[in-house]
Amino acid sequence: MQVNSKRRIFHAIAFHAVSILISALFILPLVWMASASLRQPGLPPPRTMEWWPEPLAWSNYNRIFEMLPLGRYIFNSLLVAGIAVPITLVTASLAGFAMTQLNRRGRESLLGLSVVLLVVPTVAVWVARFILFRTLGLFNSYAALLAPALMGSSPLFVLLFFWSFRRIPRELYDAARMDGAGPLEIWWRVALPLSGATVIVVGILTFLLYWGDFTTPLFYLKSQTLYTLPVGLRQLQELDRTNWPLLLAGAMVMTLPSVLLFGIVQRFFLPENRLAGIYGQ
Amino acid sequence: MNRTYTASSRTQLLLMLTPYLLGAAVLVGLPALLSLLLAFLRYDGISAPVWVGGFNFQLVLANPVDLLFPISLYNTLYFVILAVPVRVLSALALALLLSRSGRGVGLYRAAVYLPTIIPDVAYALIWMWIFNPLYGPLNLILDGLGLPTPGWLADAQYAKVVFVVMAAFQIGEGFVVLLAGLQNIPPEYYAAAAVDGGNVWQQFRYITLPLLAPWLLLLTLRDIILSSQNIFTANFIMTNGDPYYSTLFLPLLIYEEAFDRMHFGPGSAMTVLLGLVTAALIGLILSIVGSWGETDAS
Amino acid sequence: MQNRWVSFCLLMAFLFTSACGQGEVQPVSFMVFGEPAELKAYQDLVAAFEKQHPEIKVELIHIPSQGDYRKRLAADLVGGEPADVVLINYRRFSGLAIKNAFEPLGPYLEKSDLIAYDDFYALSMRAFSLNDQVICIPQNISSLVAFYNKDVFDAAGIPYPDAGWTWDDFISASKALTLDFDSDGRIDQYGAGVEPTLIRVAPFVWQNGGKVSINNALTLADPLDLEAVQWFVDWQVTHHIVPNAVEEKAESSESRFINGRTAIYFNSRRLVPTFREITAFDWDIAPLPVGRSDATILHSDAYCLPSAGKHKQAAWTFIEYANSMAGQTLVSQSGRTVPSLIQVAESDAFLDPNAKPAHSRVFLDVIPFTLRLPQQANWADIEEICDEELQRAFFGEVSALEAMQSAVKRALPLFTENE
Repeated sequence: MQVNSKRRIFHAIAFHAVSILISALFILPLVWMASASLRQPGLPPPRTMEWWPEPLAWSNYNRIFEMLPLGRYIFNSLLVAGIAVPITLVTASLAGFAMTQLNRRGRESLLGLSVVLLVVPTVAVWVARFILFRTLGLFNSYAALLAPALMGSSPLFVLLFFWSFRRIPRELYDAARMDGAGPLEIWWRVALPLSGATVIVVGILTFLLYWGDFTTPLFYLKSQTLYTLPVGLRQLQELDRTNWPLLLAGAMVMTLPSVLLFGIVQRFFLPENRLAGIYGQ
Repeated sequence: MNRTYTASSRTQLLLMLTPYLLGAAVLVGLPALLSLLLAFLRYDGISAPVWVGGFNFQLVLANPVDLLFPISLYNTLYFVILAVPVRVLSALALALLLSRSGRGVGLYRAAVYLPTIIPDVAYALIWMWIFNPLYGPLNLILDGLGLPTPGWLADAQYAKVVFVVMAAFQIGEGFVVLLAGLQNIPPEYYAAAAVDGGNVWQQFRYITLPLLAPWLLLLTLRDIILSSQNIFTANFIMTNGDPYYSTLFLPLLIYEEAFDRMHFGPGSAMTVLLGLVTAALIGLILSIVGSWGETDAS
Repeated sequence: MQNRWVSFCLLMAFLFTSACGQGEVQPVSFMVFGEPAELKAYQDLVAAFEKQHPEIKVELIHIPSQGDYRKRLAADLVGGEPADVVLINYRRFSGLAIKNAFEPLGPYLEKSDLIAYDDFYALSMRAFSLNDQVICIPQNISSLVAFYNKDVFDAAGIPYPDAGWTWDDFISASKALTLDFDSDGRIDQYGAGVEPTLIRVAPFVWQNGGKVSINNALTLADPLDLEAVQWFVDWQVTHHIVPNAVEEKAESSESRFINGRTAIYFNSRRLVPTFREITAFDWDIAPLPVGRSDATILHSDAYCLPSAGKHKQAAWTFIEYANSMAGQTLVSQSGRTVPSLIQVAESDAFLDPNAKPAHSRVFLDVIPFTLRLPQQANWADIEEICDEELQRAFFGEVSALEAMQSAVKRALPLFTENE
C-alpha cells in the first residue's frame, strides 16, 4: 500500500512536469511574439536571449495604427466574420439536420459528398473560382469573401452538426413529429436547443476562419477601404520587411481577439470526459 | 427513419439541403470543371482564350528549361513526407498523454490547441521572428548552448524544415479528434486487459491502437492532402519561394503562374495534375469511410 | 417579421455591391505603390486636385511593395475592374501595354491645354511609348544613385564620394567603412548595401561595355557583361562590404542604412521621402562609381489609364493635373520624384538647396548617360529569373558564370513566347 501511493505520487509529478513542459513549448511562440512586439524599433536587437525588453515600447502599437488604417481593417474583418458566422450556423446546421432525417441511401451519399468536399484542395479551384466570380460580378466585394458561408463555410461544420444531431435520442424527434411538426420546426425547436456546444464550437471555428482568411481578400479585394486585417498585416510587412517590433505588434493585434475568444469558450472545444467531445461520433 | 414524413416535409428537407448542395456545386463542382477546360486553353484574362490542346501540360511537365513545376512538386512532397508523420504522431502522443482527467489537464489541452487558432499571417510573422538567423530567440538559445546556428530561411538546406516545424505546432484539430476517439473507448476494455495482466504497452498495442486506427488513417490522409495546401499563406509571407526556389511549394507556384504572370492555362494544368493526385487519395478515403453510415446505427 | 427580412436583404445588397452611385461627383480610383512617406505625396496631390476639381472624387489605393502591386493589378485586370488610374514602372509596362490593357494617352495629350509632349524629358516619354504612340504619361525620370551617410564618412575621415569616383574608390571606401566596433566578430556597420537584382547590376554592366540584352536574348554571360557581374558579386563574396544572406535576412540593408549602420546604399530617388525622416545623421547622394564609362539606369513610373476603366475622362483629368506644373511640383517637393517635366526638374521644387539631398542635381546630370532596359512583353518574368540567379551568385552559392549562364538559358524562351 505504502509503495503503491508513493508510486502514484511519483507518477502524478512526472505527468504534470511533462505536461507543463509541453504546454510551455506550445505557448512559447506567443510569449516571444508579445515580448518582441514591445522592443524598441531601430536598435540592433541584443545578441543574447532577452525575455522581456527594457524599456517597454508600447508606442509600437500606436505607430502601426498611424502607418495604416488598421482600425478600419479590424472593423472590416469583424464585419465579414460577423456576417459569416450566423449564415454559416444556419446553413451548416440545416444541412446537418436534414442529413440525419434522410433515409440511409440519401444520408450515405451526402456523407460521402461531404468527405469528398472536405479533402478537395482549395488550391484546385482557385483559378477557376476567380474567373467564375468575375463573371458573377463578385469581384471587389465582400460577397466573394462570404460566398463559402452559403455552403456552411466548411463541410466539416456540416459534419459536426450531423454528428451532434445524431446523438440526440430519436424519441425526441419522433415525439415532435407526432405533434405534427415539420423538419424545419424540429430543427429549430428540438435539434438546435440541444446542441448548444456544437453551435458555439462551429461559431468560433467559423469566426477564426474568416478572421484569419488571407487568400480570399488577397485575390478579390481591390479597394483599400474594403481590406481586412490579414491584408493589412501583409501591407505592414511590405512597408518595412525587417522591422520586427512593429510586425509583431501587428501580429499581436491580429492574434489577441482569437486568443481571447478561445479562452472564453475553450471548454467546449476540448472534450472533458463527460462531454465526450464535439468531435466524437 | 423518415418514412413518417409527409411530402411537404420532404420538400422542406430538400430546401434545408439546398444552400449546401448549391454552394458545393457552384463553389467546388463548377470551378473544378472549369479548371479542366482552362487547362487546355491559352488565356491571360484579358485577350480572348485560344484552344491549345495538351500544350499546357507539355509546358508544365516536359519543359527542358523551366523546371519550376518538378521543383515545386519535389518541395511539396518533401514537406508532406516530413510534416505529416510528425503532425499525426505528435497529435497522438499528446492525446494519449492528456486523455486522463484531473486538475490542470484542461489547461494543458488548451495550451496544445493554442497555436492552432493563431491567424495564418500572424503565425507566419511569429515564426519568421523566431527563426530570424541573427536576432531570433531560437538561434540566440542555440548560440547560448554552444550549438550551431543555421541560417534557417536564408539557407536553402534548412528553409523547408522551418515550414515543417511550424506545421508541427498547429495540430489542435488532430489532437482533439484523437482525444475524442480515446474517450470513446469503453473503460471496460482496459479493465479486462488489466485482469489479464497486460502491461501498458500491450494495452496500447492491442486495444487503443486498433480502435484509433480508422481515425489515424483518416487524419493521415486528410493531412497529406491539406497540409501542403495550408502552407500557402506562410509560404507567401515568409519566403515567396526563396532561397532559389527551395521553398517554392505547389500552391505558391500555381498562384504565381495564374495571378502574377496571368498564365491561366498552365496554372490550370498544374491544378488538374494536383487534382488527379488528390482524386486517387480521395478514392482511397472513400473506400474506407463508405461503411460509416452503416456502422453507427445509434 | 416580413419587414425585418426586407431590411436585412437591403443591408445585404448594400454590403455586397461595391457602391457605384452615379451622382454629380465622379469617382476615380488611383492605385499607387510606395512607402508611407511616399504615400503622403500622393495624398497631397489628391487633395490639391480635388480642391481644383470638386466634381471628381479620388479614391487612393496604396500597395506598399512593387511585387504585390503587380499581382494586385494583374488580378484587377483579369477581374475586369482595375483602378481608373494606375501607376506603373516602365519595366512592367510593356507586357501589359502589348495586351492593350491601357488606353493610349497620346491623343489625349495632343488635345491638352495643360501639357505637351515636348515639356517632358524624351527619355521617360519613350519608355512609355509603344510603336511611337504615347501610352502612359511618366511622372519622373529617376535613376540609380549612391546614398551615403555623411556622419559615417566623417567619423572615418574618408572623403565623400563625388562625381567621377571609380569602382576602385568605391571598394576601398566601403572596405574602410565596414567595421566591427566591439570586436565580437560580427560586423556592426557595413560599407555598402544593395539589392542583388538585375536593375542594380545593369548600370555597372553598361559601364563596362556590356549589353545586358540584345536581339531577343540576354548577354549576361558574355565577357564584358560577366566581368561587371563578377565585380558586383565580389562585393559580398570577396570583399564582404555588404551583408551576407543571413545578415540581410535578419535585417535588410535599407533598414541598416536608415538606422545609421550602412555607409553607402544604392537606390533610386524613391527613398528620399523616407530618408528625409532620418534625424540621427546627415546624408547625401552621389552618382554611381564609374567603370570604363559613365552609365546609370532609368527608374520611371507613369500614370496609365486601364482600357477597362469606367471613368476615363475624369481619370484623364486627374492624370493631366498630376503631370501639370502644379501637380508635379507638389509631388516633387515631397522628395518622391525626379520630375519628368523639364521645367519642374530645373526649378527649386526639385533642386531646393535647403531640402535633402543637397546634391539633387546629380539626378539631372546623369540623364545624358541614363539607359533603360528593353521593351519586352515578358520582361518582368525575365527579370525575375535574373534576380533569382544573381542572388544565388551574390550570396556565394554558385559562381557568377554559372548563374548567368543559367539565366541566359532560362530566359531565352520567354523572349519569343508570345503570350
